Amino acid sequence: MKFDTIIIGGGLSGLISAIECARAGRKTAIVSAGQSALHFWSGSFELLGNVDGKAVIDNPLDLVPSLPAPHPYRKIGAERLRKLLSRVPEILKEAGLKSYGTLDRNHLRLTPLGFMKPAWLTLGDYVAVDADKPLPWKKVAIVNIYSYLDFYPRFLAHGLENRGVKCSMAAVNIPELNVLRKSTTEMRATNMSRFFTDEAVDHLAAEVNKVAGDADAVIMPAVLGIYSDAPVERFRKAVKMPVWFVPTTPASVPGVRCQLSLRDLFIRLGGEFLPGDTVKGGEFEGNRLKRIFTVNLGDMPLEADDFIISTGSFFGHGLIADIERIYEPVFGLDLNVKGGRTEWYEKDFYASQPYMTYGVITDDKFHPYKNGEEIENLYATGALLAGFNALKEGSGAGITLATALHAASCITE
Amino acid sequence: MKDDTLRKEYDVIVIGGGATGAGTARDCAMRGLKTILIERLDFTAGATGRNHGLLHSGARYAHTDPESAAECIKENMILKRIAHHCIEETGGLFVSLPEDGLDYHAAFVEDCRKAGISAEELDPKEALRLEPSVNPDIIGAVKVPDGSVDPFRLTTANVMAAKMNGADVLTYQEVVGFLKEGTAITGVKLRSRRDGTEREIRGKVTINAAGIWGHRLAELAGVKLNMYPAKGSLLIFGHRINRMVLNRCRKPGDADILVPGDTICVIGTTSTRIPYDQIDNMEVTPEEVDLLLREGVKLSPAMAWTRILRAYAGVRPLVASDDDPTGRSISRGIVCIDHAKRDGLEGFITITGGKLMTYRLMAEEATDMACQKLGVNKECHTAEIPLPGSEDTAEDKKRRSHIIELSTEQKAAEDRHGTLTGKIVSDDDAADALVCECEQVSVGEVNYAIEELNVHNLVNLRRRTRLGMGTCQGELCACRGAGLLERHDKCTQRSLDDLASFLDERWHGMYPVCWGETLVEIQFTSWLYEGVCGLDPSEVNVSDNPTQH
Repeated sequence: MKFDTIIIGGGLSGLISAIECARAGRKTAIVSAGQSALHFWSGSFELLGNVDGKAVIDNPLDLVPSLPAPHPYRKIGAERLRKLLSRVPEILKEAGLKSYGTLDRNHLRLTPLGFMKPAWLTLGDYVAVDADKPLPWKKVAIVNIYSYLDFYPRFLAHGLENRGVKCSMAAVNIPELNVLRKSTTEMRATNMSRFFTDEAVDHLAAEVNKVAGDADAVIMPAVLGIYSDAPVERFRKAVKMPVWFVPTTPASVPGVRCQLSLRDLFIRLGGEFLPGDTVKGGEFEGNRLKRIFTVNLGDMPLEADDFIISTGSFFGHGLIADIERIYEPVFGLDLNVKGGRTEWYEKDFYASQPYMTYGVITDDKFHPYKNGEEIENLYATGALLAGFNALKEGSGAGITLATALHAASCITE
Repeated sequence: MKDDTLRKEYDVIVIGGGATGAGTARDCAMRGLKTILIERLDFTAGATGRNHGLLHSGARYAHTDPESAAECIKENMILKRIAHHCIEETGGLFVSLPEDGLDYHAAFVEDCRKAGISAEELDPKEALRLEPSVNPDIIGAVKVPDGSVDPFRLTTANVMAAKMNGADVLTYQEVVGFLKEGTAITGVKLRSRRDGTEREIRGKVTINAAGIWGHRLAELAGVKLNMYPAKGSLLIFGHRINRMVLNRCRKPGDADILVPGDTICVIGTTSTRIPYDQIDNMEVTPEEVDLLLREGVKLSPAMAWTRILRAYAGVRPLVASDDDPTGRSISRGIVCIDHAKRDGLEGFITITGGKLMTYRLMAEEATDMACQKLGVNKECHTAEIPLPGSEDTAEDKKRRSHIIELSTEQKAAEDRHGTLTGKIVSDDDAADALVCECEQVSVGEVNYAIEELNVHNLVNLRRRTRLGMGTCQGELCACRGAGLLERHDKCTQRSLDDLASFLDERWHGMYPVCWGETLVEIQFTSWLYEGVCGLDPSEVNVSDNPTQH
């Protein structure tokens, strides 16, 4: 099979670059092994939330020149970053996802444990507040679903009360969930969300109205709207005060919805999505990748003019560690890993872990190297890249999106 | 707990919440003595919770130490009766590899018989049939009645028995001094590890059952006890490779025992003398990991491709023979010291040496000595009366399982709590919901542990229920556990600190084996807690030493 562009990896990075390639009229395919980091997404994208241990609020892009040299943001440059990333809200909107936020100023998102963290874009129905203003509520009702364990009203209340908001707490049930509760492992966010449709949404809203009292707003776990925001819209209309959602521990309803929405947009644009398949390797001619082979397709190759690899970091299995070494399993691309296994970690869990910064090294256009030779029609994007600690920087989504858009624009322009 | 501990005068103060201390408190309480058990951290936080969990048949010592071997097999049979919910009768094999030869093997069978340990020689082919995971190159095999014992469960059961017989129990109370009248110890000064408050407790006899920490306690009491810490490191694998305990049939050496227990199996140990000031810093080195794997795969080749969950290390309390100040003659047997006789210090007893297997016998000796001092003439019944949780017989349990079909999580709970499983509230579906999916721990079980088993933090909860001990190492259940604990504790900041410390504690055992799926798991955990949940180390207090919980 022959394509113009093949993307290896169906996470956020792969989907975004694939959408942009398909939109530009290129025959595009994604080979996706399975779940990605999107499946535990918080509902917010971070651009740059932390530099030198300090929270960043105003003009995060101004700090790009101060980042260490191999950083992907440095390679792209602040000006081009702004241009590329300003596309993101439009793409999300096209996929059916409303978002809030601006590149000039981070807002704060409310985390499941009640902390406030800087973010760039947050889904429309999730808590996003201005860093310098008091919270927009005097009193909120934190409402959980009865017996749901992945939402922590008291931790949220602790965080909100520290910021001067009065909190009430309650848990509600609707009979529709009782069947789910019969099994001891089913009361999880994504499972519940499948039950919250039509009348069940009305029933839930009625229960929430009973316990919300005179609160200015209701805060609930993100358990509605896995396939679309229709149940959320219906729910918000039926509840007598504004409703805001807080993400839960995995699997994440906004994450699954984001993944499905972007995938559907890609397919609408004529893209070919090959799920549940793993790329085993490829054949090179000179400095070009000619074709790749997958587990499902056996010896039938997939050919393309350009390839993008966005297979993620260790938990995406884009990088593999064994007792002796760390390697990139698809092509054996060159990495920035130095030293043996004792060099990979710090003993303090909360220190900046060296393994977090490992990944594929590239030139300024994100072409990776194999045995020191640049591969000119292959791009590496997202968490697979080397040279930054996205967790400590609060930059994971920004890097993922910017490198994906950058690669797509190099291919299509 | 109700705080009338200050006004009471106890007959016996037992220091040390390991198996020996808990067993001693049980024995004392059963003999009608007014007893209090004091532990500076949590039960099993020392050597008790940091070994193989091997229910020795005694075969391991049959050649080198026949006396210990005889003690072991006797206690082995007692524990199978009184603590069967803590035990799995897996059986064990002693296998000879070509490099070991058969000389040791020949003497070994004879030594076992002399010590009263049933030892059945097997054809290597037969051994492979019984235990398919064993190295197929073995040239000899002997079957012995080894098994596995859960030291957390065993200690908790002893604590419960002590409490049921009227004993008081305090955890997170460190002994910082002794009360003295003339030449007698009359009590202890305690400092809370949780809030720093101090208190005094009076007792006629104080029993030092603090393992390696007993050296420091003796010093505090003004007497000298020569103890030599030896560190042993072990690795935990993500599932059971073997059904039976596997031992190398040779002189005891490094990494020569693989024990299956619960959902995992454990290879160990190494043995290194460490300076006394390092006993609270248990860290497994890369060299130890390499050694354990290199030797371990010789026992069972599957170890080479099985996921390693974590590494841990414990300290053996080796005691110098009483009259030898140089410490050259080390005894592995039980040492019970009457400090009145030895040092002229009344009201103070040290019970040490020995091993997990002989904890009950050690408790009996110490309690006998305390009774003698108190002029109490009561017999020991700890070998006949079952521990809480084991009040039925193994046969009862088997019979019941034919009538009632239990769900996986009910089976898991029953394995952990035996006949006490009934105390776990399971009156609605919310109580049955699983908190820890890897180890099948329900909300009801967590609540039971919090209410009845001296649980103050997530590490305590892990030791009582196995929450966070499975393949995800707390990644998905730590948060849920913290949520449930907070409902009882009602101090949200402390719960957040505890959650942050628990993740650091899990990491401490993971970094020595941080490759493969372990690295995948920890990266996911970091993203989930520091990323999605925003758990910021600058906004929480992480406990200084991840091994001190």
